[in-house]
Amino acid sequence: MEISVKQLSFKYGETAVLDSTTFSLGEGVFTGIIGPNGSGKTTLLKLISRVLKPSGGSIYLDGRELASFSQKELARRMAVVTQDGDAGYLFTVEEIVLMGRAPFLGRFQSETMEDREIVRQVMEMTGCTHLRERRLSELSGGERQRVMIARALAQEPKVLLLDEPTNHLDIGYQQEILDLVKRLSVTHGVTVVAVLHDLNLAAYYCQMLLLLNNGKIFASGSPAEVLTDKNIGNVYRTHVLVTPHPVLGTPTVSLLPVTKDNVVAEPEKKRVHVLAGGGSGGEMLRDLRDAGYTVTVGVLNVGDSDWEAARAMGISVVAEAPFSGISEQRHDENLAMIRQADAVVLAEAPLGNGNIRNLEAAGFAVDLGKSLFILEENPDRNRDFTGGEGLRLLGVLRTRGSIVNEKARLYRALAEQFSLCDTFD
Amino acid sequence: MNKRVLLFAGLLAALLLTIIAATAIGTASVPPAVTLQIVLAKLGWPGGPEGLAEIPRSTVSIIWNLRLPRVILGALVGASLALAGVTYQGMLRNPLADPFTIGVSSGAAAGATFALFFRQVYQLNFPHMIPLFAFIGALMAMFFVYNLAKIGGQVPVVTLLLAGVVISSFLSAVISLLMVLAGENMQGIFFWLSGGLMMRSWPQLWFVGPYLAVGSVILYAYARDLNILLLGEEAALHLGVQVDSTKKILLVTASLVTAAAVAVSGMIGFVGLIIPHAVRIVTGPDHRVLLPASALVGAVFLIWADVVARTVMAPQEIPVGIITAFVGAPFFIYLLRKKKTEIRL
Repeated sequence: MEISVKQLSFKYGETAVLDSTTFSLGEGVFTGIIGPNGSGKTTLLKLISRVLKPSGGSIYLDGRELASFSQKELARRMAVVTQDGDAGYLFTVEEIVLMGRAPFLGRFQSETMEDREIVRQVMEMTGCTHLRERRLSELSGGERQRVMIARALAQEPKVLLLDEPTNHLDIGYQQEILDLVKRLSVTHGVTVVAVLHDLNLAAYYCQMLLLLNNGKIFASGSPAEVLTDKNIGNVYRTHVLVTPHPVLGTPTVSLLPVTKDNVVAEPEKKRVHVLAGGGSGGEMLRDLRDAGYTVTVGVLNVGDSDWEAARAMGISVVAEAPFSGISEQRHDENLAMIRQADAVVLAEAPLGNGNIRNLEAAGFAVDLGKSLFILEENPDRNRDFTGGEGLRLLGVLRTRGSIVNEKARLYRALAEQFSLCDTFD
Repeated sequence: MNKRVLLFAGLLAALLLTIIAATAIGTASVPPAVTLQIVLAKLGWPGGPEGLAEIPRSTVSIIWNLRLPRVILGALVGASLALAGVTYQGMLRNPLADPFTIGVSSGAAAGATFALFFRQVYQLNFPHMIPLFAFIGALMAMFFVYNLAKIGGQVPVVTLLLAGVVISSFLSAVISLLMVLAGENMQGIFFWLSGGLMMRSWPQLWFVGPYLAVGSVILYAYARDLNILLLGEEAALHLGVQVDSTKKILLVTASLVTAAAVAVSGMIGFVGLIIPHAVRIVTGPDHRVLLPASALVGAVFLIWADVVARTVMAPQEIPVGIITAFVGAPFFIYLLRKKKTEIRL
């Protein structure tokens, strides 16, 4: 069934929760409604399911106005899975799912063999068959959610509305349930509208997304059109990176550390310079930055994942061209940063002929009297690709700097050192 | 399915045996066989009337004019209160709802007291006056309690009980005031209020019967909707139940049945509370079983409560409400003390 929404508004008292919204959803399309808390997602779903009456505008199912359906007519076409399945505890699972057939039965009519067969099928589809005789009160949150979905499917709906259907489910059941819903939309032409919190699930399953913000549609269209760094950043006030799914190519959203542009410059902020590369530094850069240090990093190749991380966080970085060894010029820049630093951290980067000068730079730091911390979380792993030279240099450095075997310890050591300096100064 | 047939066959048999046994029991002892003979003969059983010749007329009269109508009335009142209790509990999704705790019984009693007051003090009288007043009182009490207890569309246990207590105490005060104002005529009101099933006969029975018959058909027609309402009002909408009109119909029907029962028997508490719970433990929450089973069990229970009421201190009679309270109050406390999760519906 096609759902079209025209100029739909909903007011709660004087506040507009939904403001003059227009869109239409084709038959068999799996649409996700996303948006921050309080953006009107659930309100929109409740308007479509007719639990709420719009303050303005109207909704049509296949061209017929929603308000003109009787309650039973509507229930024969539309099923809804909400989050508040918190009653009816003494019923068995089978009794609950059988209630999905109620819209098809007359007042004194009891369920036919056909009804029971449909119930058997949907229980099998949702993995509830083994729960048949159990009471709802004995089930876990995830099992209960699957029963609610089974009951909705027993209505053999043309339109299926879901409000955060995977809320209580672990990742395995999230996939199972959404796979099932997706299959129904593809094979049976069921029009699915789901409020989803998880942007990655939304991108993975939905053909269409409606991104709501403050009761208005901020963006709509395919996941690739809607889920952009800019849209997400604007609506959720956060900092994300959208990259293609490594296998399917659908968008995936990753959180990035928040850039604190508005932090007041603190003159006595301690500077920490990190020597990293090959992904050994990203997490550490974030942690040090969040701990309030001024962080610099060097020398990294452009395109290296540590370089990406530094760039995303706005950290000053000495960068060399891709796949090139460290040039004299970059090395000098690196040394210049070390001069300004209060401490230097040597991350557990792979050692190759291209970046061996980072070890020299570490030695230079000790020569200048800076404290050098050498992070070695996996001392047994061979990370020397220089034929021995790297290990030799590292061996020398190990006698001159402090070795720490985990990041948490490194952070404590840094904090201790700086607080000691403070007291003596 | 077979289990259900067995259950109802058993309950019906229990009810018939109870009626015969309870009719036989009393100060003037009549053997059950003789009782059965009299009842069958009066019902026009083939070859009956000749059988009555050997039995003293006074015995026939005791059985047919005094005891049997009283026993059947007990059955009807018990069934009415239990049905109303099941309906209130299901509809309000609240295990502590019953005609008494939510104030409907008090409302009916206050209404009936007004009727008695007008009749005895102002000689105002018209047919079905007491039940009409009882019904209006019941509906008004229900309306006030429900709206007092409602918080944001929900009716929590605590507020419902509090509202019920408040309205009930207020109505008790109204009843007391009417009794004072009635002066010498107070006896009649008092006698009616302490009620029970004393001095009731066929007319009362013909009065309460139709309300129960019509009411139970309507309630049974809504059994599936009651089941679905237990899933929550929103879920019920999604399953095609017209929630608002259904609730109104259920509320009015249950209040009507309650009012009729209260109008003929006065205030009999706890039947509507404990019977539904006891039956639910055995049958589960499906109202298609729960409603008729509760009605049958309620009937049997009230008949035996009345037998105790009229025999335990014979010839002195105790109002049957005292017996049901002695059984019901401990059960009520037990329900309150039990963990919340276990008194779910």
